[in-house]
Amino acid sequence: MINSKLATWAVRLLRLVIGATFIYAGVVKALSPIRFTNDIHNYRLLPWSMAVALAFYLPWLEIVSGLAVLLDRFHRAAVAILALLTIIFIIASAVARIRGIDISCGCFGHLSNHLSFAWHLGLDTVLLALLFALWRSKHLRRAITV
Amino acid sequence: MPRGLVREILLLLCLALLPALGQAVYFRDRISWRQPAKQDEITVSQARNLTGPVMWLDARPEEEFAAGHIPGAKLLNAEHWDNLLPQVLNAWTPDQKLIVYCSKQSCDASHEVARRLREEANLKNVFVLAGGWEAWQESAK
Repeated sequence: MINSKLATWAVRLLRLVIGATFIYAGVVKALSPIRFTNDIHNYRLLPWSMAVALAFYLPWLEIVSGLAVLLDRFHRAAVAILALLTIIFIIASAVARIRGIDISCGCFGHLSNHLSFAWHLGLDTVLLALLFALWRSKHLRRAITV
Repeated sequence: MPRGLVREILLLLCLALLPALGQAVYFRDRISWRQPAKQDEITVSQARNLTGPVMWLDARPEEEFAAGHIPGAKLLNAEHWDNLLPQVLNAWTPDQKLIVYCSKQSCDASHEVARRLREEANLKNVFVLAGGWEAWQESAK
């Protein structure tokens, strides 16, 4: 009984952390699409027009998916989208790093400007692990309640 | 992949599209879909030939500034903006042009510092050194 409650709260906490993180990241970027366009274009992987389109779209995708996770609506679809975004970001950062491009990812607005590449990579890996845990949340509940 | 999951993913992708389109329309006059030329950039040779006094501003982290910088340059980075900006403004005279640089062409810190100088400190005549510290060192060889 106690374990079951603990499992439910653990999953709720996980949803809160992931949902709030992506909503925050999305809002910060949606507030300054021009800056985010420059950040995307800085990776030198996409043409300018594509960077503009993504700068308008990605923040809202993060917000909508973050809300879905938080409200537990379509949460597996939302987790899949967020995990894919995180994986793409990790790959893009690694490619930029290998090509010697000094980037500011802009992931969390001004806050992320001072984080090193290692910190970004670490944070994204943690996020990915949390997303994986949420994806498997039924199993997580079962593991705690057993 | 289950069909239900695919449907839900498509639904979320479409839901995000609506506000994104709205925002794109709202910002249509403020952002160009064609890459704008970086009009505030200045090459090393142009910078050397500038008439009148110039103040160099180094937008790199403190450690990189300490390791080497353009002679006479002052440190002004986003990390210690609040502490460094008053020192820069105290040393600056209105006849001086400001040239900001960071490590190399691909870094964005110089553009960010230049933008903040224009918007927050209301300064004009702010330029960004194309190629940054790397280009300066190349030109000195």
